[in-house]
Amino acid sequence: MTNIFTLQRSRTPRLSDSRRRMGIILSLPAFLLVVLLLGIPIIQAVYYSMTKWDGLTTTWVGPETYINLFLNPTFWRVLLNNGLLLLSVPFAIVIPMGIAAVLHEHVFGWKLFRVIYFLPTAISWVVIGMVSARFFAQEGLLNGIFANIGLAAIQTDFLAHEDTALFAVAVTFVWSMVGTNTIIFLTGMATLDPSLHEAARMDGAGPLRVFFSITMPQLKPFIQFAFIMSMITAFTALFSLIFVMTGGGPGYGTTTLEFFVYQTAFARGAFGTGALLGVVLFIIMGVIGILQLKLLRSED
Amino acid sequence: MPIPTITERLASIRSTRSAGKVVAKKKVSPRRVILFVVMAAGAFIMFYPFWFMIDASFKSNAQFRGMEGYSFDSWAKLFDILPVGQQLANSTIVCVLALIIIVSVSTTAGFAFAKLRYRRATLVFLLIISAMLIPMQSIIIPAYVNLAQFNMLNSYTGAVLIYAALGTPFATFLMTAFYRGIPDELIEAAVIDGLGYWRVFLRIALPLSIPAVVTVIVLQFIQIWGDLLIGLLFLQNTDLRTVTVGLGVLATGRVTDIPVLMAGSLLSAIPAIIVYLVFQRQLVSGLTAGMGK
Repeated sequence: MTNIFTLQRSRTPRLSDSRRRMGIILSLPAFLLVVLLLGIPIIQAVYYSMTKWDGLTTTWVGPETYINLFLNPTFWRVLLNNGLLLLSVPFAIVIPMGIAAVLHEHVFGWKLFRVIYFLPTAISWVVIGMVSARFFAQEGLLNGIFANIGLAAIQTDFLAHEDTALFAVAVTFVWSMVGTNTIIFLTGMATLDPSLHEAARMDGAGPLRVFFSITMPQLKPFIQFAFIMSMITAFTALFSLIFVMTGGGPGYGTTTLEFFVYQTAFARGAFGTGALLGVVLFIIMGVIGILQLKLLRSED
Repeated sequence: MPIPTITERLASIRSTRSAGKVVAKKKVSPRRVILFVVMAAGAFIMFYPFWFMIDASFKSNAQFRGMEGYSFDSWAKLFDILPVGQQLANSTIVCVLALIIIVSVSTTAGFAFAKLRYRRATLVFLLIISAMLIPMQSIIIPAYVNLAQFNMLNSYTGAVLIYAALGTPFATFLMTAFYRGIPDELIEAAVIDGLGYWRVFLRIALPLSIPAVVTVIVLQFIQIWGDLLIGLLFLQNTDLRTVTVGLGVLATGRVTDIPVLMAGSLLSAIPAIIVYLVFQRQLVSGLTAGMGK
């Protein structure tokens, strides 16, 4: 893998002035856009995180806002939801891995299967949430299935109870990650060296052995990538899904950190605390990002 | 170079021989039949929600609740209660404007970083792509207050700018990677022939990068089209709402008329599905581009 984080120095040392000038001019719009609309707001967020702020008036409090947050049980309740949601990430890796392995064998109809499995990637979380909410509802399909197979006793409105609601969100999350991760693994498998497989098979290794000893190690960077992307999605992309499916409830049952930011700021008007939660989320994402860089670097 | 073992040699012969007709011969074994059945069952689970939307949307509420038959009632009702045409137009306008900005700034910046390496280029490049790590929820509150002060919440401007800013880091990353694949000699030769750098960009680099630009457009289109949070906050005027926001708000309004909601869901999903089916390959290459390949 090439190192993408350093740009090589020009081979022609006599940089013409016009070239340098054009370089600055051409990169300026992107730079300004990012600095003005992402850079400055993130700095502001750090400042406002230490204030009491309702959007109009600001009162300085200081770093103890962070301590107050860490002493707040609701914050930990919300973070626990994030943690529980992360438990579903392995499923969003293992299931697509199996699917990709089978599709890679070009089982009958694999091209059509690929299109269908990947379809949810194109669909908004709002739409996914709409359908999913029906699926898990009291009169929804899941309860219908339970009734038909004689499990009527566990019929329930999944979105009405704290623990089952988060379960429903997690299942929906895994369902919609399946396509994306399958495609990542299929792309990875297409880069594999087929002669290695042939060799292993001729040496008497069964399909499972080939998969675990030959395919998996070669796919490591793709697995890491899918893992990180799924974690980022679980932390920062489920707002719409939660908004539509449960609105964060019941209670704080499905309120994740990203949803808590919205709720705190825009439903309760506590902009300062909202900014604070946003900074915490940013720090968590930063740690995941550094982890990813380390992993990519170690591959070189 | 190590001498290949017999197995390896055999393997390489086999693989080169079979390379031409990989798909041609495949035995129907019980194993393959089982795998097919499992895949088909999985495909059913993946496709079921789409089938549910289609099926439910062509039923009236009574038909959905058990009555026989199909009708266009729910579609008619959807167009009654939601300004769907207006919202589809809003979605299109917001997407197109944001995409124009993203493509303009990311192609020019990518070209500058890859081919016009000025003194601080690496630093600026790193600054821009590190913004990929910023979750939108972390900047949304200050951005909201800032744009409110500039009175940008009552027009498309605020939402378009935020979408553009959020899409730019990854797009710049992708374009820079692409332009680095173009040989320096090609650029130098054109410059020696008397073309200015701007012309080189417009006439040589940009046309070459169309595949990458399409990837950026497809990825960002699907993102922006399906977004709820930015639209919810930055398009305060209900006449400006995108179709996804309109739907999201409708869903929380506890509308119990499920077929109408399904018709709306389907309608909002169709443009993205079409883009997906047409540009599948670009979408796939974009998804894995983040690996630095």
